Amino acid sequence: MKVLMPYFRRYHRDVWLALLSVIVLVFATLWQPRLLQVVMEAIIKNDQQTVFQQGLFLLGLAVLGIIGGIVNTIYSARVALGVATDLRADLYAHVQSLAFADVEKFSASNLVVRMTNDINQVQQIVMAGFQQITRIPLLFIGALILALVTMPQQWWVILAMMAIILLVCLVAVKRMTKYFGQTQQDIENVNTVARENLMGIRVVKSFVQEGNEIKKFSGASDELTNVTAKIGYWFAILMPAFFLTANLAVGVAVYIVGQNITTHPAYLAAITSFISYLMQILFAVINGGFLMTFASRAFISMGRIGEVLETEPSMTYVSGDDQPVQGDVTFEHVTFTYPGDDHPTLSDVSFTLKAGTMLGIVGATGSGKTTLAQLIARLYDPDSGQVKVGGVDVRQLPEKALRSTVAYVLQRSTLFSGTISGNLKQVQPDASVSHMQWAANVAQASEFIERLPQTYDAPVEERSQNFSGGQQQRLAITRGVIANPKILILDDATSALDARSEKLVQEALDRDLKETTTVVIAEKISSIINADQILVLDHGRVSGVGTHHELVANNAIYQAIYQTQKAREEGTVNE
Amino acid sequence: MSDLRNAGKYYWHYLKRYWRGFIVSMVLIAFSTWCIVVAPTYLGRAVEQLTTYLQQWSAPATRGQASLTPFNHTLIIYILLYVGDASTIFISSLILARVTAHSTGTMRVGLFRKLQRMKVQYFDTHSDGDVLARFTSDLDNIFNAMNQALLEILLAVAQFVGLLIVMFNQNATMAWVTMASTPLALLIAALVMRKAGVAVNQQQDDIGKLNGYINEQITGQKVLITNGLQQDSLKGFAGYNAKVRQSALTGQIWSGILNPLMQGMSLLNTAIVIFFGSWFALNGSLSTGAALALVVVFVNYAQQYYQPIMSLTSLYSMIQLAITGARRVDEVRNQPEETNPAQGHEMPAIQNGLKIDDVHFSYLPGKEILHGVSIDVHRGEMVALVGPTGSGKTTVMNLMNRFYDVDQGAITLDGTDIRQFDLQSLRANVGIVLQEPQLFTGTIADNIRYGDPQAGMDRVIDAAKQANIHDFITSLPAGYDTRVSDEQSVFSAGQKQLMSIARTILTNPRLLILDEATSNVDTVTEARIQAAMDNVIQGRTSFVIAHRLKTILNADKIVVLRNGQVIEQGNHQALLAEDGFYAELYRNQMVFD
Repeated sequence: MKVLMPYFRRYHRDVWLALLSVIVLVFATLWQPRLLQVVMEAIIKNDQQTVFQQGLFLLGLAVLGIIGGIVNTIYSARVALGVATDLRADLYAHVQSLAFADVEKFSASNLVVRMTNDINQVQQIVMAGFQQITRIPLLFIGALILALVTMPQQWWVILAMMAIILLVCLVAVKRMTKYFGQTQQDIENVNTVARENLMGIRVVKSFVQEGNEIKKFSGASDELTNVTAKIGYWFAILMPAFFLTANLAVGVAVYIVGQNITTHPAYLAAITSFISYLMQILFAVINGGFLMTFASRAFISMGRIGEVLETEPSMTYVSGDDQPVQGDVTFEHVTFTYPGDDHPTLSDVSFTLKAGTMLGIVGATGSGKTTLAQLIARLYDPDSGQVKVGGVDVRQLPEKALRSTVAYVLQRSTLFSGTISGNLKQVQPDASVSHMQWAANVAQASEFIERLPQTYDAPVEERSQNFSGGQQQRLAITRGVIANPKILILDDATSALDARSEKLVQEALDRDLKETTTVVIAEKISSIINADQILVLDHGRVSGVGTHHELVANNAIYQAIYQTQKAREEGTVNE
Repeated sequence: MSDLRNAGKYYWHYLKRYWRGFIVSMVLIAFSTWCIVVAPTYLGRAVEQLTTYLQQWSAPATRGQASLTPFNHTLIIYILLYVGDASTIFISSLILARVTAHSTGTMRVGLFRKLQRMKVQYFDTHSDGDVLARFTSDLDNIFNAMNQALLEILLAVAQFVGLLIVMFNQNATMAWVTMASTPLALLIAALVMRKAGVAVNQQQDDIGKLNGYINEQITGQKVLITNGLQQDSLKGFAGYNAKVRQSALTGQIWSGILNPLMQGMSLLNTAIVIFFGSWFALNGSLSTGAALALVVVFVNYAQQYYQPIMSLTSLYSMIQLAITGARRVDEVRNQPEETNPAQGHEMPAIQNGLKIDDVHFSYLPGKEILHGVSIDVHRGEMVALVGPTGSGKTTVMNLMNRFYDVDQGAITLDGTDIRQFDLQSLRANVGIVLQEPQLFTGTIADNIRYGDPQAGMDRVIDAAKQANIHDFITSLPAGYDTRVSDEQSVFSAGQKQLMSIARTILTNPRLLILDEATSNVDTVTEARIQAAMDNVIQGRTSFVIAHRLKTILNADKIVVLRNGQVIEQGNHQALLAEDGFYAELYRNQMVFD
């Protein structure tokens, strides 16, 4: 709730109009039985004048109610949409201000859910709030007071009715909460089996396990069915019980009126109004119960949104000169542990990389290659030690300066939907066509881009899925080099390229980006065999640094990797 | 309209077996409706009797005759009617709750059974998320509509009809007055619902685009940060968000306004009935008691009159969702199933070998992937398939255990077309190891004996040993009882792949297919898996599909596929000597001193 207050304040005019119209609506609803009572009295007295006059009042009141309803809906929607869109915008802006570690902590898909589903929940509860939630207590209290005013003696009938309804609710809710929890678990089980079978359909079929899988699924499904039925049974009790209670209360009330009619003859005209109020009380309680379950979900959503908004960015940047710095990189005793991990991913890593040279990084899966590269791009900060770019600790570099110095190309850094040129211009806003051609040439991408009907203005679909894996990587490299960065990191960025294209990319980098420092992470030794130095990582530690020949001679881990990729001498033909 | 018909057919298929329950419910609902619509007349009568009593009691001459007994009797009937209503509704709700839960369960299992019989093609052309949504949201919508709408619709229709009958029985003029505003209400409802339909569609479109944008940007947050594109991203977001604000406002207003409008109409209708009722009471020839009773009864009816319409309009969107859901699930129900020969033979042991003979194949009509591929494999040989991505390597595997069937040509085993074998027997004898080692929730042991759940621990351990994973498993605290769940994986890709190899070893297949089993691991891990694979291949006829050539250098025969055709074949030495495409691939992948 706290999260929403500032937004309500922003739309205070709409809020007040929505509330005011609710009051009008409730007044019209509750005052009708009151006027009915006057009409009944007039009938008893045979007073034509009053009947006619009150009739007009009744019609006017109904029209007022309709107008109240319309106005209320319009302003409730305005508040709900205003609050939801502003909240979403603030949430999105906040996420963009977060460091990558913070985004990882929540996980991207989780953040997306918070910006879509959770915001939607909030929007719905705000809408319902101004349409229903404010109305129900007003109706309840109003009907209660008017019922008591109409027949003060019968307070205990009202009390007894509410007590019984409350008791039924309590018992049912207690049982059903248990069943609802169980349903969640059962749904999860059913979905797990279904999902595993979809993903592993080839496995199921090739091991001929269809029958067993059906048995497994039926078991999970039957449990879900049984719990759903139980919930259904409780609901079956609930509604008839409510209405029976209310109608019994009506019967008792009318009976009492009858026994005392000689002392309170005026009650004859009040019976219908009193019944109406009793029914209003009942509806208020039922709707209140439904809204409560609905609201509890929205509160969870609000909590989840608040959690993101309250997360302070774990990384801040100094302000200062935005110009790129020199391309040399130094690691000094760098140790890094991922949040929530027991063991450091990098331990005491030190090396120096001169501007304009090439560094290759090799090591087994999980040895920390990508982590090391990410520290250069300052996606994370080290626990201890220093990462220096251009001789300056990256923590002392303004954000713009760092980003314009370092270009980072990932294995799956697909372009965003839009056009090729749009993506390139995001990085280099003043890029001309010939400049784009230059970058595409370096990445060996121009050959397929120029075959596209719209060349550089060709559309890029979501997840770049209208391009093959190799094309996606070449486009990503094009984006990486277009700003002619001082440092270029290729993180397994050529894995889908055939060896010939890969070689051509490296030659082009050597030729056209002479001043650029390149850091290449690769599975294949052939990708980094010509690097000025190669860093061998083993469980987060530097196992060796040197050229290919040096490492082959003296580094056991490098030798092991090399052995698995080395061609046997007798196999070579033209070498 | 055809959607509605299909949805109807779908429901009918699953609900017809519950016809007895439905008939009982209908009878009960008819009875409860009778109770509800008749009850107000007893209230009216009670008021009339009370008025008479009061009048008699007030006049000294008739005070002696005044009696409350008729009033008391009427009231008892009134209460009994509601007890009758509540208990019949209770029983029919019980029946319908049972029908709903069980029919949804049958639908769910029916869908799953169907999926198990369908062709692999369906799963290759539909995303898992889309199919899964049919189990979750679509079945949910179908359930919700039955759970909430079924009883309400039956009740609403019955009440409406019952109400009309009783009203006309009581007083035709007042009945017409009560109905007077109906055309206006229906007109408003139709208009608003049409507007809401259009506006909500637009709203959903815009929300879909916004969600798509958010999803793409946040998933690519690493790219945004490393390129410093956060401000650009915000700008793009603002555009989508503003659009949603506009269209969702219209959508929310139109879809939210129906309920208050109908409530307003109900207020208006009650006002009209009171107005005319009292005028009618005073200007007719009715006694005071009868006049009061008339107003009481018809005010009650006027308040009830709009309830069926209101509950139907509020159910409208729910029913729409259910129709869509039923259509989507029904779509699956009509998918073609795998064909198994009527009297298929058991697949025998391989005598001479397997022959792929001039096979043509296309996933999509007109887009042929394999253009006449022929490969001979002798018993006990290991054949490797290599070639660039998209050359058709994996397609050959798909044909071998009939995930797909050839368009032209044939795959024969010792001269018998594999399509003549019993499908289950064929698959039980063809073992595959896939690129993605899909494991299932359960213990490690369960996963290794997946293909033969009856297998004892000795066979499980034996298979694990052959796959070089036994030592790792025993090093775990729970050993073979360690839980595997595919989502929160504690195992590396390499370990999972070794378990999947053990799983295949345990079934002792006659023909083995390894489909790029090492493409997701580094080269050192690959060497370990290679050793396990060598154990499986030993003495078996096998196909190895490889991306990295290192794993297949020892193959008896290497077949090079390119663009759906065999361009070279022979062993490693021979192909190198040919100095063709294979030799080039090899030189590109390997490092030479």
